[in-house]
Amino acid sequence: MMIKNIFKILFLLAFFIFTVSAREKKETALPVFEQPLLITSAGQSADVYLASILAKKAGLNSSLSKIAAPKDMKNIKTLVLVLGASLKGLGSAGLDKAKEKERVNLLVAKAQKKNIPILCLHLGGEARRGKLSDEFITSFLPFAKMAIVVKSGNKDRLLSRICEERNIPWKEVEKATDALKPFKEAFK
Amino acid sequence: MRKKKIKFFKNKFLPLLTAILLITAFSCPLRELKIPKPPADRHKPFDFIGRKGMVVAAHPLAAEAGLEMLRKGGNAIDAAVATAFALNVCEPFASGIGGGGFMVVYIASERKVIVLNFREKAPSQVSPEIFDEEGKTKTQGLAVAVPGALAGWTHALNTYGTKKLSEVMQRALSLAEEGFPVSKTFSLINKDEYEKLILNAGELTCYLNKGFPYEPGERLRNPDLAQTFKTIALKGVDEFYTGKIARKIVQAVKDKGGVITLQDLALYEPVEQEPLKGIYKDYTLYTLPPPSSGGLHIIQLLNMLENWPVKKWGQNSSPYIHHFCEALRFVFADRARYLGDPDYISIPVDELISKNYATRIVSLIKPDHTLDSYPYGKFKEKKNTKGNTTHVCVIDKEGNIVSLTQSINYFFGSGIVPKNTGFLLNNLMYDFSSDPSSPNVPLPHRQPVSSMGPLILFKKEHPFLVLGSPGGTRIFSSLTQIIINITDFDMSLDEAIEAPRFFTYSSMGKAKRISFESRIPEIIIESLKKIGHDINVRKAFDKYFGGAQGILILKEKNIILGGADSRRDGYGAGY
Repeated sequence: MMIKNIFKILFLLAFFIFTVSAREKKETALPVFEQPLLITSAGQSADVYLASILAKKAGLNSSLSKIAAPKDMKNIKTLVLVLGASLKGLGSAGLDKAKEKERVNLLVAKAQKKNIPILCLHLGGEARRGKLSDEFITSFLPFAKMAIVVKSGNKDRLLSRICEERNIPWKEVEKATDALKPFKEAFK
Repeated sequence: MRKKKIKFFKNKFLPLLTAILLITAFSCPLRELKIPKPPADRHKPFDFIGRKGMVVAAHPLAAEAGLEMLRKGGNAIDAAVATAFALNVCEPFASGIGGGGFMVVYIASERKVIVLNFREKAPSQVSPEIFDEEGKTKTQGLAVAVPGALAGWTHALNTYGTKKLSEVMQRALSLAEEGFPVSKTFSLINKDEYEKLILNAGELTCYLNKGFPYEPGERLRNPDLAQTFKTIALKGVDEFYTGKIARKIVQAVKDKGGVITLQDLALYEPVEQEPLKGIYKDYTLYTLPPPSSGGLHIIQLLNMLENWPVKKWGQNSSPYIHHFCEALRFVFADRARYLGDPDYISIPVDELISKNYATRIVSLIKPDHTLDSYPYGKFKEKKNTKGNTTHVCVIDKEGNIVSLTQSINYFFGSGIVPKNTGFLLNNLMYDFSSDPSSPNVPLPHRQPVSSMGPLILFKKEHPFLVLGSPGGTRIFSSLTQIIINITDFDMSLDEAIEAPRFFTYSSMGKAKRISFESRIPEIIIESLKKIGHDINVRKAFDKYFGGAQGILILKEKNIILGGADSRRDGYGAGY
């Protein structure tokens, strides 16, 4: 009887260790992106400039174009999509929701064709959520090879759920400035 | 041993205790008020209390700076300017020396009300072609008008104040050097305007935290602005309008494609104006004349409301909101048709604020449906959705009053900061019309139409209510609602300020939808829909509707109440 119990305990212990190590493996097995990178918006929010500052601080070879087109992807090894919509941003870029989606779709298609990995950032937190922003999140986050999200924008776990359902590694940070570390570490 | 203790108690402890008690008693003025602290829930109505004086402003540190000036013996004008300098530091996104504004001043000893106009002016080389087809200025620099704030504050101090410029800016200077923790409001606005700041002020600006928007609680220091204040204190205001700072302004504007010249700055002068006077029931209102439209429209609205049984209808009832909104739509038609710079165009002010004119409009408004059209001018109105500007109210122990509204126009203005100066330049040229046939067309030296409406309301002979608000074209609607909340719906000051607001306008003679704060009950909104109104529900406390500050003087009770809007970081400081 006692031996049986010991076996039971050992089994549970082994299962626990396996689960924890598997989970650790999932978190540490992050993809490694290459430079140069092209940063663009998916939704025309000003958060795209946050990504540009992050890239600069991380010492990465990057270029920024809010309205990047497939032709801008020449010699690019990573596409960074900054998720989040802004009516003001769409207006000043002369775009509407449909046109902006079409533009990003073309970028994604080109990236897939050329095997360029996509890194998605959601840096605007809670303010960059809502019906319009969520459309861009659900449309383009599934194409990501990795995602970095600011915690307050993921209160309902929309972003993490999309990532987990598709086995996309993701990192959650408290605020935009904290994204610097995982962003830097994601590149060779 | 015991005797020794008793001896010590009698000989040393008792006299010491008595001395402490006496000192404490005499150091506390007997009639000093116990000032209650504001509740943790900022939206809960709360009146700040004072007996001798009160300062209400859009930031606690700025209100404290004003109160400090009153305590040091300064008068209301000194305190208002001290508060304005402090706001340039703590609320830099809404006003500052790179902007302009208006001041309504009551001089108690002379029983006189004056208006000081230090609104920005168009540069001499400006033309109506500064706007593109979408109504944006073709370059960011073209959005900048010649700033008037510093000239206005100095004029007020020299004419009606008692302190030197260097004295009243002292607290602001320390705040700029030492820094302050940014509020949630600041952080939200900072994030909203991030793109403008990064593109115009650059990532190293102090208005960003190492290139990122500030998070609540992070400390903002502005040593460049402190240095600018020191330079002005040392060399005088001329340094700003004709000296080294002037050259930096011209260069910064030029770098962004603007046209301000050194001569434009050198020629800037504030002007004193006669206040506009309106009568509402037992109250007399003193406020701004054009080029601000705010004061004029408040009087128009009150004149119309006087014709309706608003008290019987009830606050934010369906008939009240319907009639108010219809009145607003007529007011906006007049605004587009008649308002501009009175130095260059003729405005029928007396006609517009007459009771007869109000009665004529009232007769057109139907109780059970919206109108198909409103009498309107041919000038297209630009939509202004920016919540901006700031307001300060001050009263001193002599009864002098300042009601000051000022701005750099949109939040964080143009986003342009002249090199190493630490202050933001306005983008006030956006207050001109992009329609070249409008009376509010941008032409050299003109002042664009403003919506500001700082006011002082008198009950019989005595000042009763001091009020003002930011909020773009919502200003005069919001201020009128607050006045009615107090005079007709018997609300306390802050209750009136915090009460749910609504707003609408007309454009090209057509009604626009009503925007509501979401606290207005669904049943009211539904009933308004039924009579033809389109609806837009906004946040429960939305800074779109402004951030009003007010002072209520209860003369018979010898009490001064301060009301500060929780839609922004409003705060009162009384003593």
